[in-house]
Amino acid sequence: MTATLFLEQVVNGIILGSMYALMGAGLALIYGTMRILNFAHGEFYMLGGFFVFFLFAQQHVHPVLAVVLSTAAVALIAALVQRLTVDILLKREGWAFSTIAVTLGVSVFLQNLALALWGERFQSVPYFVEGILQVGEFRLPWQRILILAVAVAVMATMAAVLRWTRFGWAVRATAQDPEAAAVVGVPARRIHTVTFALGAALAAVAAAMLAPVFAVNPWMGLPLIIKAFVVVVLGGLGSFPGAIVGGFLLGIVEAVGITLTSSEWRDVIAFGMMIAFLWVRPWGLFGVKER
Amino acid sequence: MFAPLAPQGRAAVALLVAVLLILPLVWHDTYALHLIILSMIFGAFAVAWNFTTGYAGLKTFGHHAFFGIGAYFSALISKNLEISPWLTTPAAGLVAAAAGLVVALPVLRIRSVPHVAMVTLGFAEIVRVLLTVFRETTRGEMGLWGIPAYDGFTIPGLGEIAFNAAEKVPYYYLAAFLFLGSVYAVVRMVKSPIGLALVAIRDSQDAAESLGISLTRYKLLAFSTSAFMVGLLGAFYAHYILLLTPSSVLGLDLMIYIIGITLIGGVGTLFGPIIGAFVLTIGIEAMRGIGEYRMLIYGALIIVVVMFMPRGLVALLDRLGPRMGFGRGVALATSDDAAKAG
Repeated sequence: MTATLFLEQVVNGIILGSMYALMGAGLALIYGTMRILNFAHGEFYMLGGFFVFFLFAQQHVHPVLAVVLSTAAVALIAALVQRLTVDILLKREGWAFSTIAVTLGVSVFLQNLALALWGERFQSVPYFVEGILQVGEFRLPWQRILILAVAVAVMATMAAVLRWTRFGWAVRATAQDPEAAAVVGVPARRIHTVTFALGAALAAVAAAMLAPVFAVNPWMGLPLIIKAFVVVVLGGLGSFPGAIVGGFLLGIVEAVGITLTSSEWRDVIAFGMMIAFLWVRPWGLFGVKER
Repeated sequence: MFAPLAPQGRAAVALLVAVLLILPLVWHDTYALHLIILSMIFGAFAVAWNFTTGYAGLKTFGHHAFFGIGAYFSALISKNLEISPWLTTPAAGLVAAAAGLVVALPVLRIRSVPHVAMVTLGFAEIVRVLLTVFRETTRGEMGLWGIPAYDGFTIPGLGEIAFNAAEKVPYYYLAAFLFLGSVYAVVRMVKSPIGLALVAIRDSQDAAESLGISLTRYKLLAFSTSAFMVGLLGAFYAHYILLLTPSSVLGLDLMIYIIGITLIGGVGTLFGPIIGAFVLTIGIEAMRGIGEYRMLIYGALIIVVVMFMPRGLVALLDRLGPRMGFGRGVALATSDDAAKAG
């Protein structure tokens, strides 16, 4: 193992980590405002991948437009799903479990809808940009650099929106206490729907960027949602900055871990890290201790 | 809510058990028997999962780990060490119970439903990935085959009992034994002081603890007994199907299937998971003609049941014959519902 190869592995870990961070941040946003675990998150990711495949690979739409349209379409579908299921269940007792159950149902439904629409073949999407960056012995395809740049830009925008806009204040107020927020005039229901859609949109962005690297298929969401679970556990469930740090941390630890063992151990490393974290620090890096 | 079944209800249960036991003697359709065997196995699995989730309130999403551990343990030991499956099956239950204790340890420390869901699911994923990685022993996704079937034996008066693919009846009775045994064990536990303690924990951990109920002991008990049952079922499955892959016995699909069964039948009731298992297993087979759309319908069904029938099919049964008392048990949705049902 040369130093360059090791560096390449770490950089690849950071790039994959940025995607984990996007997935985890969406999940954390949804959990943070509604306290629900969205098991359909992987399927919003999958839909994002298929929309990009359809628009960019099949219809030859410009990649920027394809990514934007796919993300918007996933956000709309997610808003609809939230209004038809989660929004109603949140008013009932036992919602912590019933929302998980219903999103599991949505996940099965969307997977099989994709199977019926596009078949079970692995569909490949061409790179958005060609070429390889070479510095000395160090090589990196521009596509991967683009992935990282888009992820950082999207997360920075999202963080800025949460921090400085009236909408962001409303989201954070609803997260802290939906009833108190409603009292001061925050439309809590609308905030819930919009955050659910935004969380799903983050997953769709991740899928759009990763589609050229991994192939697109109806089951592509499952490995990613499980990784997103690891990310939110590391960062603290419901913490947006926690998910971002957790995502990069997971990406780097996986990359270093598999250079020391082999790529088959990637998932064992990830889940082992999650269970160890839950054991010693169940509230995560950034979460608040609650029992 | 712990009232025994009404006499009519008891008679109905006795009748159903009798039908179940006589059925293979009069109906020789191999395929139908196979479906009933699977329904019984998944029904018992759902009953065991429901015991931890619906009664003890520990919402685990990783019970398929115990099924897979039981299946692979029994298959590998009996195949490689040439030990009779009759011995490795109970041993598989014990191994699964030990694994249950391991998973329960981190679960003891956390109360939030999503965290419990993620740690249990994460454990199952670790088991699945390990079985895939050690493919010299397990053959990974290529499939483990050459698993020995149960040894035949002779019953005086009945003749030779052989376990092979063509002969479903011996498997049927073994599955019925595991099914009825699991249901009976759960019924006894739920109606005993253990069951009361578990429901108390589910409804309020703090209140239960203040009454001197040891949370640690009861949670470990709920997890390990349930894991034991699921491990036994997994071992039976291995020696029945005779082919294992990590994705078939350890995939999230299997867990979702068990959750679907329980939701559709009725969470937190005794009969719900059983009804759900038969309806779903046979229903999905019956829809084979419409191909991939059946899984679409299955997903939609889970959504519809959660949204509009939170108490599941058992609620319908209760409406048909409220005096039977089938729907008795503890509804997960609201205390109001439970009061109406009880």
